[in-house]
Amino acid sequence: MTSTSSSHSEAAPLSGGSAAPPDLLQVRNLTVRFGSVSAVDDVSLRVQRGEVLALLGPSGSGKSTLLGAVAGFWPPEAGEVLLHEVVVAGAGWGLPPERRDVAVVFQNYALWPHLTALDTVAYPIRRTGRRRLAARTEAASILELLRIAHLADRRPAEMSGGEQQRVGLARALARRASLYLFDEPTAHLDAHVRGLFLAELVARRQATGAAAVYTTHDAEEALGLADRVALLDNGRLVQCGTPEQVYSEPVHAWAAHITGAASIIQPAGLLPPSHPPVSGLGGTDLSGPVLVRPGWARFGGTLPGRIRGVRFRGPDSDFLVETPAGEVLIREPGPPTRPVGAAVEWTLTRAWPLPLTQR
Amino acid sequence: MPVAAGRLRSAARTQPTSGPATRGGPAKGPVSQRLVRAVATLAVAAVVVILVLYPLGRLAVVVGTDTSGQLFGGAPVAEVLRTTVALALAVTAAAVPLGTLAALGLARSDVPGRRVLRVAIVLPLLVPGFVLGYSWTQAYGRGGFTDFLFGLPWRSVQGPAGVWAALVVSTVPVVYLLVAVGLAARAEPELARAARSSGAGPLAVLVHITLPLLRPSIAAAAVLSVVSTLDSFAIPQAMGGSGDFTTVTMAIYRRLSLGSDPAAFVQALALALLLVAVTLVVVVPADLWLGPRLRATRGAGPSGPVAVPGASRPHARSTGTGMHARSTRTAMSRWISAGLSLYLVLALALPMVALLAAALTPAVGVPPTPAHWTLDNFRSVLNARSLAAFGRSAGLALLAAGLLTVLGAAVAVLERRRIGRALAGLVTVALVVPGSTVAVALLISYGRWLGGTLLLILLAYLAKLWALAHRPISGALDRFPPGELQAARASGAGLAVAVRTVAARPLAPALLGAFCICGVTALHEVTMSVLLYGPGTETLAVIVLNSAEIGQIGPTAALSLLLTGAVLLPVLALWPAIRRLRTR
Repeated sequence: MTSTSSSHSEAAPLSGGSAAPPDLLQVRNLTVRFGSVSAVDDVSLRVQRGEVLALLGPSGSGKSTLLGAVAGFWPPEAGEVLLHEVVVAGAGWGLPPERRDVAVVFQNYALWPHLTALDTVAYPIRRTGRRRLAARTEAASILELLRIAHLADRRPAEMSGGEQQRVGLARALARRASLYLFDEPTAHLDAHVRGLFLAELVARRQATGAAAVYTTHDAEEALGLADRVALLDNGRLVQCGTPEQVYSEPVHAWAAHITGAASIIQPAGLLPPSHPPVSGLGGTDLSGPVLVRPGWARFGGTLPGRIRGVRFRGPDSDFLVETPAGEVLIREPGPPTRPVGAAVEWTLTRAWPLPLTQR
Repeated sequence: MPVAAGRLRSAARTQPTSGPATRGGPAKGPVSQRLVRAVATLAVAAVVVILVLYPLGRLAVVVGTDTSGQLFGGAPVAEVLRTTVALALAVTAAAVPLGTLAALGLARSDVPGRRVLRVAIVLPLLVPGFVLGYSWTQAYGRGGFTDFLFGLPWRSVQGPAGVWAALVVSTVPVVYLLVAVGLAARAEPELARAARSSGAGPLAVLVHITLPLLRPSIAAAAVLSVVSTLDSFAIPQAMGGSGDFTTVTMAIYRRLSLGSDPAAFVQALALALLLVAVTLVVVVPADLWLGPRLRATRGAGPSGPVAVPGASRPHARSTGTGMHARSTRTAMSRWISAGLSLYLVLALALPMVALLAAALTPAVGVPPTPAHWTLDNFRSVLNARSLAAFGRSAGLALLAAGLLTVLGAAVAVLERRRIGRALAGLVTVALVVPGSTVAVALLISYGRWLGGTLLLILLAYLAKLWALAHRPISGALDRFPPGELQAARASGAGLAVAVRTVAARPLAPALLGAFCICGVTALHEVTMSVLLYGPGTETLAVIVLNSAEIGQIGPTAALSLLLTGAVLLPVLALWPAIRRLRTR
């Protein structure tokens, strides 16, 4: 399904061998500019059939612009977009969206205020030349599939945000495209509705086998949903790999922070010879910074520290521990058991060395 | 009475995303505040009664109790009415598609000369109607520009066809503005993108998404077009005044000109009331249909550039949503640019050049070549009488604009409550009541004491243009987030300080805009002025009209240019200030 490599420039291995499955989407050295601003800067990505790629980055990182260039909303300044190995956009030109095999779910739903949910979902079906009655029948079945048949006669103004987003998803499904583009579809949904939507998305993906590109600024969502995650910052691709790779082996401090809670410490002189081996640090020069995720350290052991802060998170508790190497976040299941200010001992079980030239 | 034009005009403003500034606040404030509000409400109500209710009521009573039996005697009322309604429908049938196409075309970001064209398309609003009509006769009439250059006079320019064409030109900007604002407010770019990514081509997006979303704005533009044509006087008088062609407003003017004939006066009153009835026949059903639709909830999502097939993000260098090969999109945009440019040349530039040529030419029949150019016409009209008239016009316009801004703001603030909303409704009614009717109603109400005075003309301006000042300020108040004022109060500012420090800046463009729109309209107003002026109280527009009626082509052209300059120059001077305020 997906590559296991982690790269700064490509989201999937180059398809050099004949055994590699064909790429559904290729983005080659794509640059998109608005005026003097480079919203996307020399980005290359690949998505294979059935794969879900998450574009993770903060606001303004170019995720939505990249998605728009793939959808056909604006042409690249440079580079190419290929769908089914056919170039659909190059420098200064592009096939219009309706001639690309893609469907889009929008952050702000983009439902047409004058159409009911049924007519909205029937719209892409009608564009394929189907008769009105047939299109509406098929649209009704899609609404039924998503368990929102009761919304059929409602207009956007009569629906909640979650309902609107489901209708937006139904419209995209009605397009029956090979590639689905999700532009922060859960950004405006509350936690409960977001969970329902994501579950629905996973179910649909398994049912259709289509590929998807999903933009989000929520690391948890990206890591939990995608086969691979691409990190974007200021329009540039920072890293791309499996969720485990980008979480456990970030290329630098910024990538570590954007993918989850991260403590970066200077372990030089910290670990005594008696300390158990630390996974990920074997043979590594310990003079530089290393990443410690909350689950990579535990209480008990020989390393000294003092609790600076405690945060109850529901199923577990976070303890911010001040150590000679810097502050370390340690996560324990259950409610907090140690007070702020308490002296503790801890053990480092895993770490990931980061380059000295941090961002 | 429904708040007809208020709803129609609300097409021109964005739906508020939050409640109005004071709506939703506590029902009762401190005693002093309630007292101030009550006094203000009473004062505004009194002005509404004086300017609107009493005159219109008196008109209805006078006509209703007339026993002379000559209400419609001797006048081909049915034919005049038929002509007027047919003209209104014909103008609307042409102006609405033209204005809509212009708005859709100029929404594309890659149209060459787009910025200039967007300004040029609304310029006819700044050219006084009479001047526009007169310039067309000089451009296309017998002995006019095209006659001189190509031997191609348009013989019927001084008749129904010419009146229709010039009224279309003067109405297109209104349609353009309403549709352009509708595009910005309703047709968000993501809605078009959603359609394109659902498989729709540019034409399908236009037909299925953009035009249905714009339907209320287009309908409102159509209603305004009908109403303004029914109300029009200057253009029909300038271009059709010498023939058999007569509209209701022209008939009212002619009957009032026969000052010594009581029967003619009564007939003028009856015609004025008839015009109101015809206007309401259009406005009331349209209001009932349009009102809820104009207030319909917009689709979710941020506002942004317009959703037109081919429109794109502001700084993108392509047509965005409508991506095609570069050559195709440039060709389409060039066609749009060329078409609009040709229209503007024929509709505005050529007539204004012809007007200038007529002003520089010493006599009729002399070719308008540089060898014959002279400033004699300008010298002859720059006399004490016209200068005094200009002073009166400028003074009246400034005074009216200042008072109207205050009155408009007062109603906009008061309409947050029920009684204020009723007052706002009445103020709006006066806008859709034809100017001729307003003038006649004021004349029979206060003419005994104020007849022929500048004060009566000022009252007419205030009555007719009040809603013009009220709507932009009300719209700005609607858009003003109440949270900002509350944040200032919560930060320790009193109400007055909060308004001055937080609300004044965001509301300044609307206040200045209201001042400008009222000032400009008052400056070139002629429909009411020509019915109300007396010896020594002519405005400049009246002097121009009178000059044309006695056949002085060169001096009329010179006066027309001076009048246009008097309108254009202040607007051009204030425009940068408004833009600066809006972008801050």
